[in-house]
Parts: sequence; structure tokens; C-alpha cells
Amino acid sequence: MMGGRVEPVDLAVATGRDDVPAGWLRYARVLGICWRAAVAQQLEYRADLVAKSLMSVFWLAWAALGVSVYFRFTGDIAGWSYSEVLVVIGLFFAVNGLRQAFLDPNLDLMREYVRRGTLDHVLTQPVDSQVLVSLRHVGLANLADPGIGLVLAGVGVAMSGRGVSVGAIASFVLLLAAALVLLYALVLGLMSLAVLLVGAEDLGSVSYSVVELARFPVQAYRQPLQTLLVVVPVAFFTTLPAQALLGRLEPVMLLVAPAVAGIAVGAASVGWHRVLRRYTGASG
Amino acid sequence: MPNLGAYPPLVRGSVQVALTYRGRMVLWVVTGFFPLLLMAVWLTVVAESGPPAGWTAGDFIAYYVAAAVLWHLSGQHVVWEWDADMRSGDLSSKLLRPVHPFHSYAAWDVGHRLVMLSLLLPALVAAVLLVPGLGYDVDAPRVLLVVLAVVLAYGLSLLMASTVALLGFWSTQTTNVWMLWWGLGSFTSGWVAPLELMPGWLRDVSVVLPFRSTLGFPVELLTDRLDAGQTAVGFAVGLVWTALFAGLYLLGWRRGVRRYQAVAG
Repeated sequence: MMGGRVEPVDLAVATGRDDVPAGWLRYARVLGICWRAAVAQQLEYRADLVAKSLMSVFWLAWAALGVSVYFRFTGDIAGWSYSEVLVVIGLFFAVNGLRQAFLDPNLDLMREYVRRGTLDHVLTQPVDSQVLVSLRHVGLANLADPGIGLVLAGVGVAMSGRGVSVGAIASFVLLLAAALVLLYALVLGLMSLAVLLVGAEDLGSVSYSVVELARFPVQAYRQPLQTLLVVVPVAFFTTLPAQALLGRLEPVMLLVAPAVAGIAVGAASVGWHRVLRRYTGASG
Repeated sequence: MPNLGAYPPLVRGSVQVALTYRGRMVLWVVTGFFPLLLMAVWLTVVAESGPPAGWTAGDFIAYYVAAAVLWHLSGQHVVWEWDADMRSGDLSSKLLRPVHPFHSYAAWDVGHRLVMLSLLLPALVAAVLLVPGLGYDVDAPRVLLVVLAVVLAYGLSLLMASTVALLGFWSTQTTNVWMLWWGLGSFTSGWVAPLELMPGWLRDVSVVLPFRSTLGFPVELLTDRLDAGQTAVGFAVGLVWTALFAGLYLLGWRRGVRRYQAVAG
């Protein structure tokens, strides 16, 4: 295949069906079909899913208990009390769980595409390749994490004794959405890297490591690491949404976080299509 | 144990495989920063509220750098190897070899740990030279004791992991069982926090449980936190657990291998 640039084909023409919707609806339907297949396949291992969910609860309790050791010696770390740190840990599980469910399985597939040359096949599908490579697969193993993570965050807010305003919840939702978009951009960037480097090893562990740093509020780290993690941008994943929920967010972040996420996802998307233009195919 | 002669070629093969995937090994080292994350938070606690239980910033750095190195020298990876081979049926071909599968997995792991060590030791030396306040006050006898404790830590974690791996003959959940075992143990191993900073009752049980021998004990020995009596007790506890898990492993193997039905070839 030359150049790797494939214009999206009109799906109605390609499939010979005239009930195929256009635009966003079409992508929603395509992803719906892909996800149904992935879910059906994984539901064959129900006992495994139950065990994985129990393990999620265990690790959540482990993290909450483990961090309590610090508070045997101090009332707060850089202004974060134990209950407020629990909010961050809960959000870490929420964000990390969504990463493991929606982003990680696709990153794993990407390595296969590049190694086996099946990316060519993906590129010839009549939808934008970015949507297909980055979102087509879902993993159910860690799907309990977002739920129990948000529960722990709620418990943390209640324990902190702060009231929650509608404004706080609204800004929290906005910042969490920005965090997920930013994470998506990061993973898409890693996917482009996988094509460029032809099968870079264990890219999943890179995305995991960046999120792992978000286990604690960034203020719990000393300088210069703290500033570095705002730049990297670990702070956006859990610290800022937690601050929003606790009503301690600097208002300017309501503009900064969506802007950073928007720029990142735009850049990642442009990057992906640029890389594809240089891709010359791998399969025989 | 018989078959010791089989180790050199098996280990050599494993080293070559590990060297082929150098990039992955480097990535493992780089992504194994979790202890340093815990350390970073302790440093903030020290700066804000003073040294907890007398632990200075230097104490925390020395402890966690050693813990981060030792984390990579654990034998627990064999759980995933056993699990994958039992599922795929690749265990069948290992059963046909003239060495017991335990030795196949152990030699595979030893080879990988040796390559890891060749990456970690220079990194440790560089850290000691570059990081201000990081240093280990050691003499020759202490170095010898630490090396022995590290070998014991590795042997015990390898035997524990191999014993849990045998549950694969009865269940498909061995990796989860191992994570549960390890996760609970991490409160008494020195992983969640140095044991001196844990509540007293937890510190007391940790002395008799096996987990401290796999991490906390060698690190405490290296950082000069144990007197002669505590050192002797630490070695004794580790040896007893090693013997116990060796027995458990043999028992589990005899019972389990009879149940093994290859899934594939």
C-alpha cells in the first residue's frame, strides 16, 4: 500500500445499505458493534470477571490503608488531609480504570497491528482510522475500578466535612472530562510512536507509569518534581479534579484544563494522520 | 536438590533471551519507580513535620533506593510463567524434559534477574555517587551478610511464588491468589512503609511472617538498623520459611501433577 492515505468511504455505498447514518452517529454505531462483540467475548469468562472485580476492591482498600501510614505522623501532607487524599486515590482508580478499559486494550492491539502488518487492513476500513485504532476494543477486567473509585472519592469528600456545591460538581465533571481527553491524547500519541518505531515494546507501561504518578496529589511531591508533574501533565488527571470536587480549585483552571486537553487531542490527531502519511505498510 | 548441573546452560539461555529484549528490561527498571514515589511523599512529611520516628530524609532515601533495587530481584515472576504454561499446555513439553519444571522456571528467572542486576548495580553506584545524602555505611562483613540476606530473600520469594503457582492444577485464579497474598503481605514486608513506622502490633507479627525476609530484612540489614540478635532472628525466620515452603511445594507438586490435563500442546 502506497502512502497509507485512505479517504473515508461512504459507508452507505460500501455496505450497499441505505439505512447507514452519517457523521457522528455512524461512528457511534460502528463502535457500538465493535464493543458488543468485545463484551460478548469476555462475558464467556464470567468467573474471571467476578474475581477481577473483587481484586479491584482489594487494591482500592490496599491503597486507602497504605496511605494512612503517613498520617500516623502528620495531620496533613502539603495541605491535604487523609480524607482529601482519599478523594485523589478514588479518582486515581476511576481514571486508571477507564484507561485500562478503553485505552489499554487498543494500545495492546496497536502493537499487534504493527508487528503483524494488520494495520494495513484497519486503514482500508471505510471509517477514520483514528477512531478505529484508538477505540475499537474494550476490556472489562477493570471496569469495576471507575465505580468503586468514585465511591471512595465520595467517601473522602463526606469524611472531609466539606459541603459539595452544584458548582463544585459541575467543575469536577468538566475537569474529569478534560483529564480523560488528555489521557486519550497521550495514548494516541503513543500509538503514533508505535507506528513510527515499528512496534515499540510495552507502550502500555508508559501510559500506566504516567497515570501511576497521579496516585498522590502533586503537592505531596517536593520541588522540582511538583512543577514537572504539572507540565507532564500528571496534575490534570487526579489532583485538579479532586480540587474541583473539594471546592479548592483555582478558577483559572476551569479554562486551562479544557484548553490543554483540547490542544493535546488536536495535536495527537494531527500527529496520527501525519505518521500514517509516512507509513508504507508492513504486510505482504 | 538434584539437577544442579542443568542450571548453567539453562541460566545462560535465559540470559541470552533477556539480552535480546534489552529494551524491555530497561523499561522495567524505569517503570519500577513506585518505591521512589512513596519515598517522595515521606520527604515532604519530613520537610513539613520533622523526621517521623527519627527517620531523616537521608534514612528514607537510603531505605527506598535499596527497596527499589531489591524489588527487581524477586522471584515472583514465575507465577505468571507457570500460569501461562498451564493454560496453553506448554507445561507438557516441560514435563518431558529431564529436569523438573521448577528448575526450568527457576533458571529462567535467575537468568533474567542476573541481567536485571547488571543494569541495577551500576544505577545504584551512580545513585550513591550523585544523590547528596545517599550512602550506605558498610564494611566487608556487613556486605557479606547483606548478600546472604538478598540470596535468601530471592530464594524464599521464588519458593513462595512457585508454591502458589501450583494452585494452577486446581484453579485458574493463581495470579489473583498471588496478588492477594503479596498485597496482604506487603503490609508486613516493608513495602507499604518501613516496618519501624508501622503500628507496633503489625511490626511484631512481621518478625515471624515470611514477607519481611523477602524485602524489609535485607534492606534493614544494609541500612544498619539491626543488632546482632535481630540479625540472627531474621536469618532464622527466613530459613524456616524457606524450608517450610520447599516442603509445601513438594507436597503440592505430588498431589497436583496427577491432576494435570494438558489443554493444548
